[in-house]
Amino acid sequence: MRELVTIQVGTFANYVGSHFWNFQDELLGLTEVPDGDPIYKNSSLDMDVLYRAGETQQGIPTYCPRLISISFQGSLGSLSLSGSLFDDISSSDPTDILTWQGLLTNETGNVSRCMAEPHKKNLFLQSLSAEEHEILDVSEDDSGEVMCSSQRQVQDKDRIECLETDVKFWTDFSKVQYHPRSLYELHSSWMDIQKFEDYGIGKDVLSGGLQLEEMNERLRFFIEECDHIQGIQFVVDDSGGFSSVASEVLENIEDEYTNTPVLLYAVRDPGAYTYATNQKSSIGRSLHDAVSFSRLSSFCNLMIPVGLPSLRCTQVCGWSYVSLFFLILNQGGLSPLLHVDDKKPFHSSAVYAASIHSISIPFRMEMPGPAANSTCTSGAMDVGEIVHTLAGQSRQNMVTVLDVAMPPPSLTDEHNQGSILRNLHPLTPEIRKDDDDLLAVESLVVHGALYSGDHRATVSQVEDSVRVAYQTAPAKPMFSRLSVTLCPLPIPLPFPSIFGRNVGRHGELVFNSVQGAQSRGSLEIVSIPMAARLRSSTAIVPFVEKRLGDLRKHGIARGGASAELLHTWGFGRDEVEDMGEHLSKLLMAFDPHSQTTSDSD
Amino acid sequence: MSLRVLNPNAEVLNKSAALHMNINAAKGLQDVLKTNLGPKGTIKMLVGGAGDIKLTKDGNTLLKEMQIQNPTAIMIARTAVAQDETSGDGTTSTVLFIGELMKQSERYIDEGMHPRVLVDGFEIAKRATLEFLEKFKTPVVMGDTPDKEILKMVARTTLRTKLYEGLADQLTDIVVNGVLCIRKPDEPIDLFMVEIMHMRHKFDVDTRLVEGLVLDHGSRHPDMKRRAENCYILTCNVSLEYEKSEINAGFFYSNAEQREKMVAAERHQVDERVKKIIELKNKVCSGNDNNFVVINQKGIDPPSLDLLARAGIIALRRAKRRNMERLVLACGGEAVNSVDDLTEDCLGWAGLVYEHILGEEKYTFVENVKNPRSCTILIKGPNDHTIAQIKDAVRDGLRSVKNTLEDEAVVLGAGAFEVAARQHLVSNIKKTVQGRAQLGVEAFADALLVVPKTLAENSGLDTQDVIIALTGEHDRGNIVGLNHHTGEPIDPQMEGIFDNYSVKRQIINSGPVIASQLLLVDEVIRAGRNMRKPT
Ligand SMILES: Nc1ncnc2c1ncn2[C@@H]1O[C@H](COP(=O)(O)OP(=O)(O)OP(=O)(O)O)[C@@H](O)[C@H]1O
Ligand SMILES: [Mg+2]
Repeated sequence: MRELVTIQVGTFANYVGSHFWNFQDELLGLTEVPDGDPIYKNSSLDMDVLYRAGETQQGIPTYCPRLISISFQGSLGSLSLSGSLFDDISSSDPTDILTWQGLLTNETGNVSRCMAEPHKKNLFLQSLSAEEHEILDVSEDDSGEVMCSSQRQVQDKDRIECLETDVKFWTDFSKVQYHPRSLYELHSSWMDIQKFEDYGIGKDVLSGGLQLEEMNERLRFFIEECDHIQGIQFVVDDSGGFSSVASEVLENIEDEYTNTPVLLYAVRDPGAYTYATNQKSSIGRSLHDAVSFSRLSSFCNLMIPVGLPSLRCTQVCGWSYVSLFFLILNQGGLSPLLHVDDKKPFHSSAVYAASIHSISIPFRMEMPGPAANSTCTSGAMDVGEIVHTLAGQSRQNMVTVLDVAMPPPSLTDEHNQGSILRNLHPLTPEIRKDDDDLLAVESLVVHGALYSGDHRATVSQVEDSVRVAYQTAPAKPMFSRLSVTLCPLPIPLPFPSIFGRNVGRHGELVFNSVQGAQSRGSLEIVSIPMAARLRSSTAIVPFVEKRLGDLRKHGIARGGASAELLHTWGFGRDEVEDMGEHLSKLLMAFDPHSQTTSDSD
Repeated sequence: MSLRVLNPNAEVLNKSAALHMNINAAKGLQDVLKTNLGPKGTIKMLVGGAGDIKLTKDGNTLLKEMQIQNPTAIMIARTAVAQDETSGDGTTSTVLFIGELMKQSERYIDEGMHPRVLVDGFEIAKRATLEFLEKFKTPVVMGDTPDKEILKMVARTTLRTKLYEGLADQLTDIVVNGVLCIRKPDEPIDLFMVEIMHMRHKFDVDTRLVEGLVLDHGSRHPDMKRRAENCYILTCNVSLEYEKSEINAGFFYSNAEQREKMVAAERHQVDERVKKIIELKNKVCSGNDNNFVVINQKGIDPPSLDLLARAGIIALRRAKRRNMERLVLACGGEAVNSVDDLTEDCLGWAGLVYEHILGEEKYTFVENVKNPRSCTILIKGPNDHTIAQIKDAVRDGLRSVKNTLEDEAVVLGAGAFEVAARQHLVSNIKKTVQGRAQLGVEAFADALLVVPKTLAENSGLDTQDVIIALTGEHDRGNIVGLNHHTGEPIDPQMEGIFDNYSVKRQIINSGPVIASQLLLVDEVIRAGRNMRKPT
């Protein structure tokens, strides 16, 4: 077993995580459907990598994500902190107070109760819990069933609608059952959560008190039970104070689990880019970005900054298919096949979650045995290997770009979309666009690809097609790794309606456009093929340079309000200089002169 | 829970309005917390938006659960929480005292008095009160054999303000014995050496002190014994798992054979480490039926577990870092970081090691140790919120015992100190003060009475009657506290009601500092850390 432990820190990270686990939950469900698509049943993907089997105190078996989610007190909405699985064991009423004289009902007993306004479960969550209770309540006669399913159709529509209009918490669209040790809430310390916006504030929240230790203990619980942990998948919302919470957690990981590789996604909501524009706060922002990037990258093995200021592709709405083709080749934004509303974290997080899901696919493919030649998968890899592939080759760069094609075109390219490679769009901000780095190293994952129409391609068809594409590409990377599996990305019910009208039921492109809703979602689409790529190349240089420059300009170049600010964040001059040095070291990986030296080892 | 949000834009208000805003915020916080105080206070059950329950009778916990937005209230709350961090108790009293200082000041300010004058009076009164505390405190000698009775009385006083009497009394012995167990002569007491472990289990009175250690995990091999007597304990921080170092990535090898070779070499190294441990086991356990337990901070993978199990060794992996230290204190021996250092002297000893399983949760008990210097308080409760509340109370109890040992003094409780200090200020100090600052001394003196008054109020007694009875009895030359059952004066000494000296001292110290800052409103620095923003 090659266990992977996932850690999600911060609001948007948990949005991403919520979708991520919905995909996993959907996959698990699909393998259990009696006459379901065999592609899921025989997927050769080992879910035990991400999940743990356990049992409640009453001996009921459970299967839960191997996950720690850290968020603010009050950000779990209607989800109970201890999850829904492990209800209290005692037959006694949880509202009985056993430690003090007096009962709630007895007003003289010095007991009082303060109730927060209960969070109402939305339509989706209501049906989820109803389903749980009535799971055996399947209708028996045929005519009834027809009724049922058409009725259901309507209801699903309502459920989806309620998510489109009203997601307030990441738990609002989560269909996963969490382990009671998974969800951890930080005490807000009377903090205005809206102002939890910089590195220093996060530090304050953890200062004094046992919270850090409690989080570390949670992690130890999940790691202790791993026989061969392959790595830690860490997702952090680095737009504010959660950066420093995450780096404290990461620091402990480095100390305690030294040889366990950490894959770190720093994710950002488009909303995080719309901050006040007055100069002081923009310096504060730049410093925050520089500091948190420097800190986070120093505690992980591979860092993947994710989060565009906008995921919209505005030009394309309503264009006909001929011009669409033109645009795909020219515009730089995200795929015109997606209609993402930047204002909804529910939307943007879905794209990122899908990409992270794709990147994680090779980690759970069965490792090639001596005579392995699976027809379902190829290119199994564990976290250590991907780290080594991307960051341990001749060039020691550990900050990589994430690209995604969601969905990629079919291999036969009936609609002249170009190859999968040409349809990959970066999700990493501030990068160099036309990057023809000959020393680039890439790891590409393609799953559920279509051959033509909605026919699935075989593993070797995908491999061939990608090989050809690389051969004809204008600039080839130095090294590229490919992982392929047949299993597409299933679209679960609580997935947002972010697909354009040109995306078909199985993610195929359809241009004889059936008129219908502007955006399509889980009702219309059951699954899509995916391609995602991690790319270690000079494309990332501007991203790193910007942070180093800001740190130098505001933080290191003597004194001023900025130095003061860094000081209140708890960084002395030496530490700021260390951070600067760390960032220049990251850049040095791209320096052709230092290349020769690192080549030799 | 949320406090009423007062206008957060303090800057735009004029000074007098700002001052009243401060006073109101302090009073507001006082109102929320006052029902908490003392053995007749109210326990609060907080039910969150998703139905999660928290139970608290503690000022500190309650404050942390509250969503406070008013900067003044935040400043007071921070002071109170800091009080708890440094001395472990007295949060509620701190909030009440600050609130009452503000309330008393309000009277004079409304009559046109300048806050500065009050603040001067506070300063005089504070110093006088601290001096008085030195005389009033009860010294206790804590030599090599501390007076257990007095420790118990202090612990019991604290615990009974958090838990009903039966449970409090049971925990009293536990916390006193716990602290005495870890205490080393002439060294500061490190309460972390008392592990607090919990189990979700039946009823709360099952809580007990384990002389030894309870770990929250078990061995990971089916063939390892679940119970063993006479055990050598090896505490170590040695990797016993095959860690695929990064150079092992597949494509690095020209062929699979080479890869296999590397893997085998690495595996061999791990096996060697395991064998060294087994060698030591064989050495110490041959010719007797003693057992051997390895408790490792690093990982142990299945092949290593296999080897160990075959050698009859019980092995636990990924132990808490702090347990390395605790284990050595509990069982003896020393923690080793490399198998090269292995000798018999590294080994500790436990008479009994056994595993307890509750669903997927496993516990390992390491008990019957010789001469333990670390121990575990095992709390049992039927649900998380009950456990959490008992845990908080146990922490308070431990702190009170530690404080007593370190302070070498205690202070009579049940309001006795406050009544005596107030009378001292009014009859001896006030007259030595020039001019209107006298009124500041008086305000301070009256504010001290908030403790006995609130204790009385929470017991359903008439506060006026109680204060008259107490001060009257005091003026007859007796030391008096409040009998919270009857409202009559009592001698707290006879009842064994003692508070910590350092806690009292800090309340007297910090209360007027914050109150003064709030009164001198234009000198108020913004409300502490959370106001900090890039400016
Ligand atoms: N049996 C008793 N009779 C009367 N007063 C008592 C008794 N036991 C304790 N007290 C008083 O109760 C007060 C302590 O109450 P409590 O512990 O609830 O509040 P606190 O220590 O100020 O704050 P925290 O919430 O942090 O514990 C002290 O003034 C103490 O003297
Ligand atoms: Mg107390």
